[in-house]
Amino acid sequence: MSHVLAVEQLAKSYGSRRALDGVSFEAGPGELLGLLGPNGAGKTTLIRCLTGRVKPDAGIITLLGRPLPRRGGRERLGFVPQELGVYPDLTTRENLHAFGVFNGLRGVRLRERITWALEWTGLADRAGDLPKNFSGGMKRRVNIACGVLHEPQVLLLDEPTVGVDPQSRERIFAMIETLREAGTTVLLTTHHLEEAEQRCDRIVVIDHGRVIAQGTLNELIDATVGPNRLATVRLVQPLPLHATESIQLEWSPVNGSANGHGAEPRVLRTQITSVADELPRMLESVARFGGEVRDVEVQSPNLQSVFLHLTGRELRE
Amino acid sequence: MTARLITEVALIGLRRMWHAKLELLLVFVVPVVFFTIFAMIFTGGVGSGRTTKIKLAVENLDRGAVGEQLTERLAASDAVRIVDGLEGADDPLDRARDAVLHGQAAVSLVVPEGWTASLEAGAPERLFLLYDSSDQVAPKVMTALVQETIGAILTDRAAERAETLAAQGVRAPTPPPLPAVDAIDLLAEGKANPTVAMYAAGIAVMFLLFSATGAAGSLLEEEETQTLERLLASRLTMSHVLAGKWLQLTLVGAVQVSVMFAWAQIAFGLDVLRRLDGFLIMTVTTAAAAAALALLLAAACRTRAQLNAVSVILVLTMSALGGSMIPRYLMSESMQQYGRVTFNAWAIDGYTKLFWRDQPTVELWPELAVMAGSAVVMLVVARGLATRWESA
Repeated sequence: MSHVLAVEQLAKSYGSRRALDGVSFEAGPGELLGLLGPNGAGKTTLIRCLTGRVKPDAGIITLLGRPLPRRGGRERLGFVPQELGVYPDLTTRENLHAFGVFNGLRGVRLRERITWALEWTGLADRAGDLPKNFSGGMKRRVNIACGVLHEPQVLLLDEPTVGVDPQSRERIFAMIETLREAGTTVLLTTHHLEEAEQRCDRIVVIDHGRVIAQGTLNELIDATVGPNRLATVRLVQPLPLHATESIQLEWSPVNGSANGHGAEPRVLRTQITSVADELPRMLESVARFGGEVRDVEVQSPNLQSVFLHLTGRELRE
Repeated sequence: MTARLITEVALIGLRRMWHAKLELLLVFVVPVVFFTIFAMIFTGGVGSGRTTKIKLAVENLDRGAVGEQLTERLAASDAVRIVDGLEGADDPLDRARDAVLHGQAAVSLVVPEGWTASLEAGAPERLFLLYDSSDQVAPKVMTALVQETIGAILTDRAAERAETLAAQGVRAPTPPPLPAVDAIDLLAEGKANPTVAMYAAGIAVMFLLFSATGAAGSLLEEEETQTLERLLASRLTMSHVLAGKWLQLTLVGAVQVSVMFAWAQIAFGLDVLRRLDGFLIMTVTTAAAAAALALLLAAACRTRAQLNAVSVILVLTMSALGGSMIPRYLMSESMQQYGRVTFNAWAIDGYTKLFWRDQPTVELWPELAVMAGSAVVMLVVARGLATRWESA
């Protein structure tokens, strides 16, 4: 079996609005798959289809080679909601016990897993404390632990690091990494592009209920913005129109920048293959037309540029 | 500037209130509703000005004219409604007693055999008023009314006789002395104040409903924090969740009512232990029904704020109509009938049967059947409404 989780042509509409419009992707064993998309793209609906909360209008979800039924049959699935979906007024241990039981653990195995989870989260010394008194990062760790006690084959992590400081974020990803090493497939929804870029094996970009791109970061870059660097030259004063047009003949503009006198007349933005060769020539051209450069920025292609290219908008929140 | 700032704070409060329609309902409509309920309780209907009639059972064993007149005049009184068709024992005295014991009548009047003759002989026999002191008004009113009516009858008869004798030139004899009226409390002997049992039940049920609806709000809280979504993604089904919560609310409610009655026993001498079996059955059933109602409300509401508002309105209304605040015997017949749609009324009736009327536990079946049946219906409806959390 090559795929642990496979989603095929998943569709869901709310009235005339199509929340999911034929979404398809797969995730392999031990893979960390990033699910990326702007607000309202359909990520939450997709997660809810996976957890059984939303009934899709069409499509098939296959978990470990078997189609997921409408309800139940999700014993090998772990779900960590975006909100703190634990009981803030039960102790850490009591929460772990409750969610362990709800996920089918009993007796010695349950006790072993609770001990493991307390160690794994680094909360062994806070086992008797209430999560409502914890820091944001600690709450998140309890939240995640409750979703993985039963050793799911696939873990759905919905924005696990929202509102968490960088140190706690590192800790959470270290925890996730140990799960992956143990073979757990992780489906991660996130708004943090750098998080997806750095942590995910593959990325699925979803917008308007459709998968608009998927693959590794390099595959996405090659398929969208290409391997070229993005050079941004900021000027003290706008160049004359004929000068801008002349420069455009040599270097093609990106996303409407380096245009005539558009929205950003003091900015020239273009893609270059060789920084050492092309950038000095571009600066010479600017100087030749009397332009004065304020600063220059050269950016490697990244997920942000891919996302911008695909959706035409920045990913916010 | 200060005035502007203060005004803005006040305006914010008013605007927020305007957006919270349920709060507006609580502030402006609920008081009017409660005023209406209490006005109806004490007047027998909107604008009618009528007061509650005392249910009187009469066993007239006298064959004489005064006994007949007494019965007729009492039946014609605005304050009395004669209870007809008494059933049960063959013996009229037993029937009169049973009518009070079973709550068919608030007071039974027994006119002894040969009472008119005894009056005319100048050695009047006593009349008997059998009553239940859990109704603190009816016995006193009836005693006064019976004495007043007898006085009026005797005065009328004396005047007629005096007129006849005067025509014959004979001096009228001295009117006979008024007969004594013996009021006999059938239930109070050896028991705590009857209102203790009634109010223990009334208050316990009212707070049982409040606490159950409050606790059922955890369902909405779990929905808001995505805990419910997580629970439903595990092996739990919505039926498990509801059944678990119903069990929890029932247990807590049963303990809550038990604590109330334990205190009633310790502080006010209500003998709960004597009827422990009946008490436990009544308490568990009442708590189970209240828990089902609470879950139904939680499943029907969208937010905790909505649940709080709806439950406050419903519980207060049920408590007012059902006798938790005011004894139902003070209400008009129609209001007493309306009250029977509430748990409070059934629960109070059940506990009163146990601790006041001393009826056997098996006699609780109507109350138990109504509450258990409605609990089942409400749980089924709550389960139906809860499907919205399962799928979208």
